[in-house]
Amino acid sequence: MATIDGSNDSTGSNDSTEPEGGPLARWTKSVIEDQEKRERLYRALFIVAAGFFLLTTLFPFYWLLVLALTPTSRILTGDWSLPIIGIEFPHPQGFNVYAFVEMFEQVPFHLFMFNSFVLAISTTVIVLAVATLAGYVFGRLDFPGRGVLMLVVLMISYFPPAAFLVPLFDAFLGNAVVVPFLGIELFESPRLVNTPASMVLPFSALFLPLAIFILTTFYSQIPDGLEDAARVEGTTRLGALVRVIMPLSAPGLATAAVLTFITVYNEYFFSSIMALENNPENWSPLLGGILSYQTQYTTEFNLMAAASIVGVLPIVIIVIVAQERIVSGLTAGGLKE
Amino acid sequence: MSTGREHESKWPGPVVSFSRWLENLGETAFAYLLLTPVFVLLGAIAFYPLLRTFELSLFTGVLGSGEPTFVGLQNYVDLFTGAANPTLPGSVTFLPDVTTSGSFPFVHVDGWVRSTLIVTLLFTFVSVSFETIIGFGQALILDKDFSGRRWVRAAIIIPWAIPLVIQGMIFYLMFHPSTGFLTSYLAPLGLVAETNTLNDPASTFLIVTVADIWKTSAFMALLILAGLQSIDRNLYDVAKVAGASPWQQFKLITFPLVLPTLIIAVLFRTINAMRIYGLIDTVSSCTTVPSLSCMVVETFYSSRGLSSAIAFVTAGIVGIVASVVIYQRYKEGF
Repeated sequence: MATIDGSNDSTGSNDSTEPEGGPLARWTKSVIEDQEKRERLYRALFIVAAGFFLLTTLFPFYWLLVLALTPTSRILTGDWSLPIIGIEFPHPQGFNVYAFVEMFEQVPFHLFMFNSFVLAISTTVIVLAVATLAGYVFGRLDFPGRGVLMLVVLMISYFPPAAFLVPLFDAFLGNAVVVPFLGIELFESPRLVNTPASMVLPFSALFLPLAIFILTTFYSQIPDGLEDAARVEGTTRLGALVRVIMPLSAPGLATAAVLTFITVYNEYFFSSIMALENNPENWSPLLGGILSYQTQYTTEFNLMAAASIVGVLPIVIIVIVAQERIVSGLTAGGLKE
Repeated sequence: MSTGREHESKWPGPVVSFSRWLENLGETAFAYLLLTPVFVLLGAIAFYPLLRTFELSLFTGVLGSGEPTFVGLQNYVDLFTGAANPTLPGSVTFLPDVTTSGSFPFVHVDGWVRSTLIVTLLFTFVSVSFETIIGFGQALILDKDFSGRRWVRAAIIIPWAIPLVIQGMIFYLMFHPSTGFLTSYLAPLGLVAETNTLNDPASTFLIVTVADIWKTSAFMALLILAGLQSIDRNLYDVAKVAGASPWQQFKLITFPLVLPTLIIAVLFRTINAMRIYGLIDTVSSCTTVPSLSCMVVETFYSSRGLSSAIAFVTAGIVGIVASVVIYQRYKEGF
């Protein structure tokens, strides 16, 4: 009790030693004694805290909108004081919706977005296909080595992408793949840089563990009886997986798909390296588009902001539509991974 | 568990015999067969590069040109003695600058920030600490039932879900000398440099840390929320009957019961925070705030051996934390 009151107003709790002190002391005393007032205080604190978190998470997006709508010349003069009150607070100075057209004229941003979608969708398809088999095995079969293999998958998800970069980049440039420590050249990798494969392959491997753990959790919850019933009807093991387990785990599949899609769309490390230049022709994704404004149009801050808003829209839509899936996926897979 | 085969008769011969062969496999063989794609993919993209990174770190040479020479552990020795510093971009040292140690990070951060190891570890420590506290606060709010909870939750998740490059862009714009309104508030407090903010190591370090906290607290919040929601609500009813105040309820029920989840979440975030690269690259540059991953990228065109050595050191440090997590999970028996 004392702590909560103290955090609210420290002078109040000090004054409360004098019974008939100022109004503040009386209020503090009544809060301590009166159940109803106490509940009202908690509700007020709750609203303040919730409001604070909402403000801090959403303010940066408001700032992007302010910049996008303000014409460049007025951004550079940098007077953000509010008209009547005089306090400095960012607000749109003008209503230059044309920035959202101009950003596409300067940089082919739609092509970068298209690349991002292609990379994200193809990675998601590969990850779902491979992780479904693994999730079925780990979630429903009992075999020697299960624990060890799950540990190995788990460990891979921990390593930073930087630990894989040098040899992968080497191979993707078209150099020979060499057996480590033996010096035997296995084969010459095709030159994969500047192609979707150079990004989809690392993404698939790195984001596979999360999908595997999500699907393992979901598949293991399907009652054995349902699978057995399908098997008695004459379905093969894989048939039962496709016709019974997967449809029943549709929420799990959706969860794994949504999370994989978001992670690929947001990925930075390989996206920035495997496309050698920030050109849409080199399969550079969203990242290349955004950075193009930063490197080519260094003073067009309204375009940078407008591009960021356009780039973030798909994610905002996904979060609003699929937030249940995201929450359950992060908690089912995240706590394990 | 025998299967009727009449359903398969509509399929051509080879498919029938293949599925019959598949069906007759023992459970163990079947399991390993289905796991083949996973381990082929992980083998090619993860195990092979990891081993090869270690091998490359024992050689000197430039990417794609000339025969590499075997130098043993020389690259590691050079890194830790500082002999490699001239080859590293920027005025970067790999190990902590001892002369400035003892000064508090945010007061005199320059000497610290110019060290790859310290930057990474300090960033990890500061950001994960704040994310845990803020995430806990957010989780406590999301744990309550109130109208509009769905929207508050979406608002809190959105920063987590946005692309790194856009997150970096937001904070770049917030602190850029031409646009940033925040510099004028924070510079008088001594938190960021008045001019040239995004080229100043201490300021950029602070900005990057705040940006990461803004984005990733939501992730902590969701994990902690899962822990909160698994607590048996009856415990609170009992506590209320016994006359426990909300603070006592938090101290005696909520916190101890959510602690195991909290530990896993913190370790997991620690591992992720040590990968920091993209945010630094967008907000400023890798020479201003050099993290471990930054140095791998910055050196891999000029010196492949050194780059691999840094990559392997990074993997090793992450591996130490990861083995703690794995041990935890092993104790719980998966």
